[in-house]
Amino acid sequence: MTVFVCGQEVEDIWCGIYDAWMSRLGHENVRIEFPGQDTELFCQYRDAVTEPWKAEKVTESIRRKLSEALYETVYRAALSEDKERADKIYRFLIYAFAIGISVMDRLQIPAVYEVFRMTRYLAREYTHIIEFTRFSQMEEGVLLGKIKPRNDLLPLVAIHFSDRLSGENWILYDLGRKKAVVHQADRGWMILRVDSAIWQEKLNKKTDEKTYEGLWKTFHNGIAIVQRRNLKCQQNMLPLRFRPYMTEFNSDIDL
Amino acid sequence: MLIQEEMDIREKLQILSDAAKYDVSCSSSGVVRKGKKGTIGNTLAAGICHSFAADGRCISLLKILYTNQCIYDCRYCVNRRSNDVVRTSFTPKEVCTLTIEFYRRNYIEGLFLSSGILYSPDYTMEQIYQTLVLLRNEYRFNGYIHVKAIPGADPELIERVGFLTDRMSVNLELPTAEGLKKLAPGKTREKILMPMRQVQRGIAAQNLRALEDSRDGRNRLPKRLSDFKKSADLSGNSWWDHQHQGKGTDDRNLQLLKMEKRSLGPGKKIGMADTLEHPGRNVWAPLQSENRRFFVPAGQSTQMIVGATPESDYHMIRVAEALYKNYDLKRVFYSAFVRVNDDSLLPVLPGGPPLLREHRLYQADWLLRFYGFEAEELLSEDRPNFNILLDPKCDWALRHLELFPVEVNRADYGTLLRVPGLGVKSARRILAARRSAVLDFPDLKKMGVVLKRAMYFLTCSGKMMIPVQMNENFITSQLISVDHKKAWDIENHDSYRQLSLFDDYQVTASVSGEDMDSVVTGVL
Repeated sequence: MTVFVCGQEVEDIWCGIYDAWMSRLGHENVRIEFPGQDTELFCQYRDAVTEPWKAEKVTESIRRKLSEALYETVYRAALSEDKERADKIYRFLIYAFAIGISVMDRLQIPAVYEVFRMTRYLAREYTHIIEFTRFSQMEEGVLLGKIKPRNDLLPLVAIHFSDRLSGENWILYDLGRKKAVVHQADRGWMILRVDSAIWQEKLNKKTDEKTYEGLWKTFHNGIAIVQRRNLKCQQNMLPLRFRPYMTEFNSDIDL
Repeated sequence: MLIQEEMDIREKLQILSDAAKYDVSCSSSGVVRKGKKGTIGNTLAAGICHSFAADGRCISLLKILYTNQCIYDCRYCVNRRSNDVVRTSFTPKEVCTLTIEFYRRNYIEGLFLSSGILYSPDYTMEQIYQTLVLLRNEYRFNGYIHVKAIPGADPELIERVGFLTDRMSVNLELPTAEGLKKLAPGKTREKILMPMRQVQRGIAAQNLRALEDSRDGRNRLPKRLSDFKKSADLSGNSWWDHQHQGKGTDDRNLQLLKMEKRSLGPGKKIGMADTLEHPGRNVWAPLQSENRRFFVPAGQSTQMIVGATPESDYHMIRVAEALYKNYDLKRVFYSAFVRVNDDSLLPVLPGGPPLLREHRLYQADWLLRFYGFEAEELLSEDRPNFNILLDPKCDWALRHLELFPVEVNRADYGTLLRVPGLGVKSARRILAARRSAVLDFPDLKKMGVVLKRAMYFLTCSGKMMIPVQMNENFITSQLISVDHKKAWDIENHDSYRQLSLFDDYQVTASVSGEDMDSVVTGVL
């Protein structure tokens, strides 16, 4: 067994897949892993080197030989939090190239089901994030939102908000991965690493927004019908893990 | 009545959102609109809930009343004339600022604007209209808007509002005309249905034209656009000035549209040409200016109160079905009656609002809209209410055991949809997957089938998952014990056999004195 070790970003995964596939060792003799996993005896470890041309070859052949929709599916799978996602995508692609674009219909195949499961979970979390993200206004009218998703949702969420708030300057910060989308009004967006001290200071600055946050809290409290109170239902629909970053559950804001 | 003119916006928001909360509809779905440069906002087909309140209901829209002053005295309503509550009113500008500032921070998906009736229906509708004009044109808001059409308002006003909003709704409130007469003396059934009909026709005519465009569109479209540009130039920027020149031709045009709808067949052309032959105005033309807008693109909805009047569930879903069929409604919402006023005509509900009943009605509503069920199949005059312990689909299946079990690998889509535990998504996945393989129970589980319910009604390659007696009592008790533990709390005596120690012995006679003696003495 030869194990190809690649990085965790989407491009790294494409390169891992490229190296494993093009090694011509046979699909059953290769595996793709992320660094830091337990090493196994009788395995040969090779580092997959990330290079843009490799990634492009992989994505191009998925788009051209399969379809844009399937490319989108595997792209989403590559953003998943699953530790074995690189290998799972590899197994999926073997079937995809053999069966063709109808591969997603065949959920009875374990490799297909795994990709389906990862993307379904990702889609659910994506919906939650675009629902529950809260922006708060910093000086000069820049909006700052903080999220902590399990899957690497930043690029998808950025697309959503850049369409919606195209005329605003905003920053969306992924606390877990220390990455942020920075959007400039009517210009577009990019994803930046923000672990430097300057960024951290900027992102951790308190926003002073008593007016609208207070109004929103007033509304949120008032809209519930007392006779129908059902905290369990509320918690099912709005899990606790999202609440630390949401205005209406922030106890710092006075009513 | 206490009217406060000077009040800060937080107090107003408190009062006017509190007064609006009994309106259930909060969906922001049904229309896709991409963001546009220079505007704020977009809309998604599925809608987005942004938060959930302490009662577990979703908060998608900024749901407020324009004013809580009202000339009506509806018994069930917290804002009725005779209630002594603080009255206030927003200004259009306040509504716009709140909407935009909340929207920017991603608190909400848009605005839901309802209102008490201030002075007259026309006056109220006019206020709502002014607010929407300001919000769409000045504040450039491109997100979701849902407004109430006020029964009794001028149809022209309603139409104008229809071009600015995404969804419009008129609340039916009570399922029967008698109930309405009793509890809402200011309203009549006819008055409520009129705007509903108007909106329906507007949407239908717009859809017909869209169909027409797509059918033989290319040659016609430029001509139509240029036609429109010419006339738009004459009337300046304001598109409705053009559209609303000849007031009073409403009814005639409505008649015309009705005829058109009826006689639509292949090759029949309905479009600008037809309406232009009838001078005055093109009643339902979508906005063709640079900022192309549609008439109520997300459709209309309504709401009925559950449990304020003695109607049965059967009655409610018959009304809902009729509304879907005859008025093309997108949704009918059900609102469990909350006794906010102490009124002798209102029922006293010691157990609180009838939430389970409301839940069952929603389930049945789903069956009507997406599962191909008819109201008559679910309930009848003899069985007018839903089973409290079982959802309507399980209940139906148990009464039709002769149709089950169904073979997963062969049954058609319609049949699969009727199996408890299978939904629209899982049924579609099954259809797609079985083209290439024979499916078994573990595969079904992957596809999202709820096996604990479906296992009694399905076979895979002729085999059931576990040996099952196809017997109503057996399956009922199985289904109830797995799935409806909480419903046990609610007493129910007649709809199915209550489990008790003696039921399984088939003891029907009452216990006699001799039996008691024999138990004591030990002699049987």
